[in-house]
Amino acid sequence: MKHEGYLFVDHRASPGLPEDVARRNGLDPQLTREGKIFEAATLTCAHCKTVVIINPGRTRERGRCWKCAAYICDNCSVAMQAPGYEHRSFQDIVDSILEKGLKNG
Amino acid sequence: MAKRIFTSQGLTYTASAAGSVATTSGYMALKGGAATQLIDVLEVLVSGKATASTVAAMNLARASTLETTPTAIAAPHSDAGLFPNISAITNVVVPFVAAATQPTPSNTVTDAKLNLALNLFGGIVRWNAAPFQQWQIIGNTAPGGESVLWNSSTGGGSTGLADAHIIYEAY
Repeated sequence: MKHEGYLFVDHRASPGLPEDVARRNGLDPQLTREGKIFEAATLTCAHCKTVVIINPGRTRERGRCWKCAAYICDNCSVAMQAPGYEHRSFQDIVDSILEKGLKNG
Repeated sequence: MAKRIFTSQGLTYTASAAGSVATTSGYMALKGGAATQLIDVLEVLVSGKATASTVAAMNLARASTLETTPTAIAAPHSDAGLFPNISAITNVVVPFVAAATQPTPSNTVTDAKLNLALNLFGGIVRWNAAPFQQWQIIGNTAPGGESVLWNSSTGGGSTGLADAHIIYEAY
């Protein structure tokens, strides 16, 4: 996919990560231990800019904002379901800051 | 504008908790040079230089509290354009590894973090953003105006030596 980032974790010449640390940091312990390379696609949430490692085995639908026409993370996806949710993408925040800057000269 | 690379060499990334002040010369930080400056972070690389197994929970995170009086970076660290004849921009981005008071990496759930955990004994981690998927820094106020690459003890990291770089583009 053209919108995927790329994460590369190289422990070919390293003892790698202990299983508990790998799990705590959201990485696959089998691919971050000694002698292993972990390569993964990433997506960036359009609302909060969190970078998410894509789980290729996921069958649940991924979050998507139809207003942004872009991927959003699970946290933002849940927030978007809440009643009274007000849509605000990271680009909206950027735009509002830039507009304020222009008004203030 | 033009792409720049902020590089640090031989920093000891002291593990510290998310939500606590980072340790001087134990992190890399980028701050907007003006209230309306936009910075795209395009690549982050950390290559471990520890001489024994050292797990580092490196994270790029928003700063929930900004530093005060950043110290201008000095050799061997560097910050320069990828293109040698780069034009100077009006608002100069502030790259730093030390300050009078260090920044606080955010511990807020809704503040973005980029996980770059690795073993600093020979490990390398690199993240590249796809177009439109870049990490962004906007303005120069917390939390969106400054990002910190640091070693999170909250994520199980231990203190260790590493080189790192951040490729970014400022507007």
